[in-house]
Amino acid sequence: MNVGLLREGKKLVLACEVVEKEIARYLDGSCELRCFDYGLHRTPENMAKALQSEIDTASARPGAYRAIVLGYGLCSNGIVGITARTVPVVVPRVHDCISLFLGSTQAYKAQACQCPGTYYLTPGWIDKGETPMSKYAGYAASYGEETARWVLHEELKHYTRIVLINTGAYTAIDSYRQIARKNADFLGLSYEELEGPSTLFRRLVLDSTHEDMLIMAGGEVIRQEMFLAI
Amino acid sequence: MLSNESAAENVLARLSHAIVIRDFVAVRELTDGLIQAGVDPFRVLNYGLIPGMYEASGRFRKGEFYIPEMLMSSRALKIGLDILKPLIRARNVNDAGRVVIGTVQYDLHDIGKNMIISLLTGHGFEVIDLGVDVSPQKFVRAVEKNEARIIAMSALLTSTMLHMKATIEALRAAGLGEVKVLVGGAPVTPIFAQKIGADAYCREAYSAPAVARKLVGLDPNAF
Repeated sequence: MNVGLLREGKKLVLACEVVEKEIARYLDGSCELRCFDYGLHRTPENMAKALQSEIDTASARPGAYRAIVLGYGLCSNGIVGITARTVPVVVPRVHDCISLFLGSTQAYKAQACQCPGTYYLTPGWIDKGETPMSKYAGYAASYGEETARWVLHEELKHYTRIVLINTGAYTAIDSYRQIARKNADFLGLSYEELEGPSTLFRRLVLDSTHEDMLIMAGGEVIRQEMFLAI
Repeated sequence: MLSNESAAENVLARLSHAIVIRDFVAVRELTDGLIQAGVDPFRVLNYGLIPGMYEASGRFRKGEFYIPEMLMSSRALKIGLDILKPLIRARNVNDAGRVVIGTVQYDLHDIGKNMIISLLTGHGFEVIDLGVDVSPQKFVRAVEKNEARIIAMSALLTSTMLHMKATIEALRAAGLGEVKVLVGGAPVTPIFAQKIGADAYCREAYSAPAVARKLVGLDPNAF
C-alpha cells in the first residue's frame, strides 16, 4: 500500500555504516542520519531487532519525524519483520546494498547475469576490512596460514572477478583502487571498476515516495515477498 | 571399551562436542572407538555427528561462528562420515534413490550444499552433484538422465532464489512433476518454499537427510 508521508517533522534515516558517506551527501537540516554496525549483515535476526528498537524510540516522540527511511535492502531477510509504528517506514525495494551502490536493481541483475562470480568492493566495505585479503589475515591470525588458505579457497573458489564500485562519495578513490587491485591479484581474479550512479541514495533521502521505495504505513510489517515477484 | 550404555552416551556427547570445537583428531578417534565398541554406525551418525552439526549451525546463526568455524565443523563431520560410510554401505541400505543437487542459476555459494551432499550420502542416497550456477535446463536434463527421485536446490542470495521457482516450472514443463523438490539456503523460508511449489524445505543442512527420506516414503528415523 502506498501512503502519504506525515507532513510534520524531520526524516530519520537509519542506515548501514557502509553506505554512510553515500547518503550523507544528500543530507540537509530536515534529515537526520543514524548508522548501524555493518556486522549486522552477518546476523540478520539481530539486524531487525536493532532497527526496530530505533524505530520504536523515534516513533514514540510525537511529531518528531515524518518518515523513517531505511538505508538497507532486504539484506538476507535482515529487515523482515520490522513493523512501522506511528511514523511511516520507507525502504528501497532492493535485495542488498550492491543494488544501492550500482544505482538500480536492473544494473545489479545485469552484472549478476554477466558475471555471477563477482566480489564487489566499495570504499565503505574496504574501510570496514571486508576484503578477501583482510579476511585472510583474520583467518590466519586465528587458525594459521594453511587453514586460512583453505577457508578462503572454499569461500571464494567460484569467484572470477573483483569489482570496485566508485560511487563518487570518496575523494581518495585511488587508494581504494590500489587495494581492490591488490585483492584481485591476491586471488588471481580479473579486476574491473564500475561507476555507481547515486540514483538510489538520492531517492532515499530526497524522493522517498518514488516507486523504487516501499512505504509501510503504521502497523505494516516488512515481508520477504514484497521484494520478490513470486 | 564401552562397558555400558551411559559410557556410550558419554562418548557420543564427546563426539558431538568435537565437531563443534573442530577437533579433527578427536572426531576420528571417537568415531573409530565407538565403532570398535560395537555401537551401531547409524547411532554414531544420528546421536554423535549430527547433533554436533546442529550445535555448530546454531552458533553460526547467532553470529558466534563465522565461515571458518562452520567450514571446519563441516570438515570434522566429513571425517566421521567417511569412517561410517563403508559400514553403512555394507548394510546394503543405499536404497533411498538418487538426488540431483546444485546451487541455483547465478548463485555460486556451495558451502551448505556440500554439507548436505555429505549428509545425504551418509543416509543412503546416491547424490549427483551438478555444482554451482545450475540452470533450470541443466537440472531438468540431470533429473531425466539419472532418474532422480529428488531434486535439491540451494541459494544464498535473495536475488537468486527465485531461480528455484523457474526450475520447478521447467521440471513441470518437462513432465517431471512427480520428482520431489527440496529447497534450502539462508534466505529461503517455509512460506517461500510453499509459494514456489517445493515439496519440502530445510532450514539447516543437518535436517536434510530426514526430510529427504520422508519425501521418498522412507522412515526418516530408520537410521
